[in-house]
Amino acid sequence: MSARRPYVRSMDGWWKRDAYFISYMAREVTAVFVALYAIVLLFGVVRLSQGEAAFNGWLQYLTTPWMKVFHLIVLAVFCYHTWSWFNIMPKTMPIIFFGGKRLQPGTITGTGLVASVVACLAVLLIVRGMS
Amino acid sequence: MADTEKIIEIQVLRYRPEQDKEPVLQSFKVPFTDDMSVLQGLQYIKDFLDGTLSFRWSCRMAICGSCGMMVDGKPKLSCKTFLREYYPQGLRVDALAHLPIERDLMVSVEDFVTKLESIKPYIIPKEPRTLEQGEYLQTPQQRDMYEQFSSCINCMLCYAACPQYGLNPSFTGPGILALMHRYNADSRDGGQAERNELGYADEGYWGCTAVGYCSEVCPKGVDPANAINQNKMASAINYFTRFITPGGAEK
Amino acid sequence: MEVFKADVAIVGAGGGGLRAAIAVAEADPTLKIALISKVLPMRSHTVAAEGGAAAVTRPDDSLDHHFNDTVGGGDWLCEQDVVEYFVEHAHEEMVQMEHWGCPWSRKEDGHANVRPFGGMKIERTWFAADKTGFHMLHTLFQTSIKYPSIKRFDEYFCSDLMVEDGRCQGVLAIEIATGEFTLIQAKAVILATGGAGRVFRENTNGGIVTGDGMALAYRHGVPLRDMEFMQYHPTCMPRTGLLFTEACRGEGGLLLNKDGYRYLQDYGLGPAEDKPRNKFMELGPRDRLSQAFWHEQQKGRTIQGPFGSVVNLDLRHLGEAYLRERLPQIYELAEEFMGIDPAHTPVPVVPGVHYTMGGILADGKTASSLPGLYSVGECSSVGIHGANRLGSNSLTELIVFGKVAGVEAAKFAKSVSISNPGAIQKQAEAAQARALGVVNKSNGTERMAVLRNEMAQSMEDGCGIYRLGTTMQATCDKIDELRQRYKNLKLEDKSKVYNTEWLLGIELGYLLEVAQVIVYSAINRKESRGSHQRLDGFEERDDVKYLKHSLAYYTGDGAPRIEYGDVKITKSKPGTRAYGAAGVKADADRHAEGADNG
Ligand SMILES: Cc1cc2nc3c(=O)[nH]c(=O)nc-3n(C[C@H](O)[C@H](O)[C@H](O)COP(=O)(O)OP(=O)(O)OC[C@H]3O[C@@H](n4cnc5c(N)ncnc54)[C@H](O)[C@@H]3O)c2cc1C
Ligand code: SF4
Ligand code: FES
Repeated sequence: MSARRPYVRSMDGWWKRDAYFISYMAREVTAVFVALYAIVLLFGVVRLSQGEAAFNGWLQYLTTPWMKVFHLIVLAVFCYHTWSWFNIMPKTMPIIFFGGKRLQPGTITGTGLVASVVACLAVLLIVRGMS
Repeated sequence: MADTEKIIEIQVLRYRPEQDKEPVLQSFKVPFTDDMSVLQGLQYIKDFLDGTLSFRWSCRMAICGSCGMMVDGKPKLSCKTFLREYYPQGLRVDALAHLPIERDLMVSVEDFVTKLESIKPYIIPKEPRTLEQGEYLQTPQQRDMYEQFSSCINCMLCYAACPQYGLNPSFTGPGILALMHRYNADSRDGGQAERNELGYADEGYWGCTAVGYCSEVCPKGVDPANAINQNKMASAINYFTRFITPGGAEK
Repeated sequence: MEVFKADVAIVGAGGGGLRAAIAVAEADPTLKIALISKVLPMRSHTVAAEGGAAAVTRPDDSLDHHFNDTVGGGDWLCEQDVVEYFVEHAHEEMVQMEHWGCPWSRKEDGHANVRPFGGMKIERTWFAADKTGFHMLHTLFQTSIKYPSIKRFDEYFCSDLMVEDGRCQGVLAIEIATGEFTLIQAKAVILATGGAGRVFRENTNGGIVTGDGMALAYRHGVPLRDMEFMQYHPTCMPRTGLLFTEACRGEGGLLLNKDGYRYLQDYGLGPAEDKPRNKFMELGPRDRLSQAFWHEQQKGRTIQGPFGSVVNLDLRHLGEAYLRERLPQIYELAEEFMGIDPAHTPVPVVPGVHYTMGGILADGKTASSLPGLYSVGECSSVGIHGANRLGSNSLTELIVFGKVAGVEAAKFAKSVSISNPGAIQKQAEAAQARALGVVNKSNGTERMAVLRNEMAQSMEDGCGIYRLGTTMQATCDKIDELRQRYKNLKLEDKSKVYNTEWLLGIELGYLLEVAQVIVYSAINRKESRGSHQRLDGFEERDDVKYLKHSLAYYTGDGAPRIEYGDVKITKSKPGTRAYGAAGVKADADRHAEGADNG
């Protein structure tokens, strides 16, 4: 009979084992905030369907100090989320050749980040222009 | 490079199935010079301090893929990790994480090998060719499409870096999925449809949650996370088209 | 004991063993193949080969050129009919590898590219960046998975051959994971266990390159041929012995002494020109380059560093981008192991033991003198390397003769049946007891590492780049003594599961026997030829007495018995081996005389 007895180590608390796993978990947790915020926005849409007063009430509610703090937190979290996603974006794309040279991961991440900043600014400007 | 001998403490996670119920740490004091790798430190232990310490190695030049282990908790090839980087505080060496320990620093490789065998890791010719017809033509750029994924040395560091594999060993895992992509991306190959069955299965690409650490620890720049995630899009399209095309859903 | 019944058993799953296994499977899919390897196939040392594999490819090249380079490079100790077969079949095997997916480097038009290599007149070395062996090995391994008739025994250690009725009928193997024995019965056995570089101290070989197959065949009466010829590779990393491929020089790397002078021009390899030129200077053959290092060292013109005397390999003029593309692994080795950026700093190098030219005596079809036993690859002496192997001929040898071995063994296996299984079983039990004897001994006193280090140091002293009768004699005495002391080996590990110390102990037994063959073959060859260079009154090649293969026979505890065998000469009469401008002149002279073949 074989004397082999492979030992399987436990995975408990695996995410604390490495800083890389912690930042991965942080990315996953920030996704929860994204979902939460979507709910907030969805609520706004529901209110809108219930008439102008309801919608204004919702808008009013967003300006309360608690909600302002919440927004600041969410902004920070979104920034991290964006950064971390663009960081792994090169890993999600096929190999691209550009003028005979291979597109480097840094270029892809950089372009993504710049694009999202530009998009945010554009939205801000449009919103400003409307109001 | 200074050539004076210094002493470093190496803690090794020992596991001898015939005598240890579970792994135990053992500490050794090893004299070293700046050009010595962690592997050479372990060899010193085996040669002069404790002949029972077991680990795999062969080439000493980071190409045979034998010597992967956790060095201070990070998956590394011990032949190209240097003791000087852990001086003076010392270091700890464990068997590769997420894989069953057979003995000391040796892990089970069966799961990896079985998976490797299962993905048809050979050219399934798009157009068969006889030897008299000579080689297939392949431009340097076509070669670049898969070359990186063909550089995998099967060291399994990426498995030790992948928590999804640790949590669910039926996940095909980074290295093997990268190898699958290597063949799919080869201009000579026409076997993608056959291999996709495995890639698109639950244990295939979708077992990956884009942690990305595999690519970080890979000593050969294979970037398995890329091989996997660039296939998710194709897989998703395939999934939806299966419902649209008549009779496709049953397949 | 478990018994597995195979038709063909192959020991070794490096390039040679894998190619043979595929050949058997293709020859006849009904034959059951046992492929045994002490490591996972992709760990085999073929993985470390960097530079490339030779095959005549360009229109300006010819089979005769390849033949002449090989035979001349081997100082006329090659079997010329075998070399002819070899050069003829090289190209189709490269194409076969390509069809199986080997990522050969390409030209812009999509054809495989070739690069220059030392001692080769015309560029003919196929390469996959500087990871050629790696890619060939993985391609072969992965392709082998296609064939269901190949049953692999990964991490099984072969401890003996079964010889019954005057022929080889199987092998005994230890399952490393459990320490249990398996008898693998087979009608034909192919040894593909690789070289024996680990006999020496500073070497480019992996830890598993311990001459196992050579020792096994030798113990069963098969002679080892030309074992005195050990190749020193001129450009290795000091102390670790890791290799900087010859492709570094093929791509234009220069060798400089402490004055920044290209010293090779002083040793009949010049003149020094700016561009690399085939068979000139840095692209001379390995033995000559290693010997030149030795002379520079004697003259005090090498560089004294923390690792002893070195010379510089200068790659700076090639530029970072080119180096990263053509020699990525070399770049990495220099950066990581030595902390040197080769694009900006010359790399210190020394000669190191690299390749075992000799091996198990095999005829041109890989058959040994023992019926049913075949050999291929570095463990084998099929006869193409002579006294000095040309770089990039051995990877080609693996696939050309791997195929031959597979086809021949398959043919033989179909012509015989296992005779006397009872007797084989008995033999296996006796062999098992012997293998267990190494670990079960209770009163040993000799520490393994001490024996191993003494052997390696003594071999380096006695069988180095230049050899003397007196130092070789000292090495003979030392190895004799070590073989005695080995009987008293002390092992600490008595367990069964992955007992690596036990296997190292058995390997040390193999190493010592091979070491003994090397030094006794060397001391008996009283001439200088190829990589065997003497400085004690035998400085010249002596074709009258020594245009002969040496054959070492096992005699049990004692020293090997050395005999001599004829060399097969077909179309190239022995001539002067010259390189550089002198080589061009010698070629012209031979051509005028009609001594060459065109
Ligand atoms: C650093 C380096 C660079 C090189 N570069 C080149 C080059 O550029 N071009 C070129 O042509 N050549 C090159 N060579 C030489 C060439 O790579 C080797 O000669 C060749 O790869 C040997 O292949 P093989 O199949 O004979 O043996 P290996 O690949 O060494 O395989 C031996 C096999 O035998 C098995 N084995 C051994 N003993 C046992 C046992 N007791 N039980 C079970 N299994 C066993 C091992 O597990 C392994 O699978 C190089 C060599 C080195 C070391
Ligand atoms: S992908 Fe990289 S880390 Fe994973 S097995 Fe291959 S070489 Fe090792
Ligand atoms: S020993 Fe081969 S990869 Fe480290």
